[in-house]
Amino acid sequence: MAAASPSVFLLMVNGQVESAQFPEYDDLYCKYCFVYGQDWAPTAGLEEGISQIASKSQDVRQALVWNFPIDVTFKSTNPYGWPQIVLSVYGPDVFGNDVVRGYGAVHVPFSPGRHKRTIPMFVPESTSTLQKFTSWFMGRRPEYTDPKVVAQGEGREVTRVRSQGFVTLLFNVVTKDMKKLGYDTGPVDTQGVLGPCLPQGNPQ
Amino acid sequence: MAEVHVIGQIIGATGFSESSLFCKWGIHTGAAWKLLSGVREGQTQVDTPQIGDMAYWSHPIDLHFATKGLQGWPRLHLQVWSQDSFGRCQLAGYGFCHVPSSPGTHQLDCPTWRPLGSWREQLARAFVGGGPQLLHADTIYSGADRYRLHTAAGGTVHLAVGLLLRHFDRYGVEC
Repeated sequence: MAAASPSVFLLMVNGQVESAQFPEYDDLYCKYCFVYGQDWAPTAGLEEGISQIASKSQDVRQALVWNFPIDVTFKSTNPYGWPQIVLSVYGPDVFGNDVVRGYGAVHVPFSPGRHKRTIPMFVPESTSTLQKFTSWFMGRRPEYTDPKVVAQGEGREVTRVRSQGFVTLLFNVVTKDMKKLGYDTGPVDTQGVLGPCLPQGNPQ
Repeated sequence: MAEVHVIGQIIGATGFSESSLFCKWGIHTGAAWKLLSGVREGQTQVDTPQIGDMAYWSHPIDLHFATKGLQGWPRLHLQVWSQDSFGRCQLAGYGFCHVPSSPGTHQLDCPTWRPLGSWREQLARAFVGGGPQLLHADTIYSGADRYRLHTAAGGTVHLAVGLLLRHFDRYGVEC
């Protein structure tokens, strides 16, 4: 049977939300979800997850480790709308309420191989000092009603944010039939350390 | 027709003297290029960093072009502005870089510059803010009238841009 030329390609992503660096906060958990365009559909695995609550280690590293697995497969006809993983990190404030400590998003890498990404996490900021005080006092910080907003470019012009931490993710990417459809994704990145990282001089 | 996908992020900026920065970005292409999906321009959020001095935007870029020719390869142009606590915006730098031409993920560091004015304007900028801006944004990415300008360096904008090419080998293009 002659193989018909495929019209759909598959993207398989597995990996983990490895750890976080938030110098000012402790006892954090994270939620992840995937945001993708209209031509994409998940075919296997979990699109969302909530991790455990992690405390910083007592030693000098002050490491905050989740080691939280990610495993999902997508199918698509068009690379436009390439999936992004959106992370939201939450933790307790001084009064014990659960408040958001950071949002971040990054595109799933598209060349097959192992990739490490360290992404900055930011939090929306109140406009006035009075609002900042009331939100601190009441435990209701500004947060996005739908975290998927973080993965979009439109509508960000009017938001003020504060970046206050980093999360490290590891991805293993496998694609199927992208070459047959004519796509060239570039050299297979076996090192895993190329690609978006923080520039030199930033905390790792 | 060959297709190009530009998928990546404007990560952030370093080296600017002001904090509370945002970036207006746009992509300019030649006549042979057609934008099939995605928005050609946008503006990031305003970020005030708590740790270190790098302002992080993590602004996603996802564009799908179809092209008939290599001329007019896409150029990304940027304007970095700072916003103070009163909501006033001041120009921090202009910069541009070409979208990479080989497939894969690339780390781009785009240097920026801002126009200096006369010594009076520089003094006014130091005290009151403001300062000269370009009338036509296309001077940022074209070399045409640059000889008229006297500029000073701003900071650097960091981008991670991934490029996916389709059918380029059918036309014999090596990249």
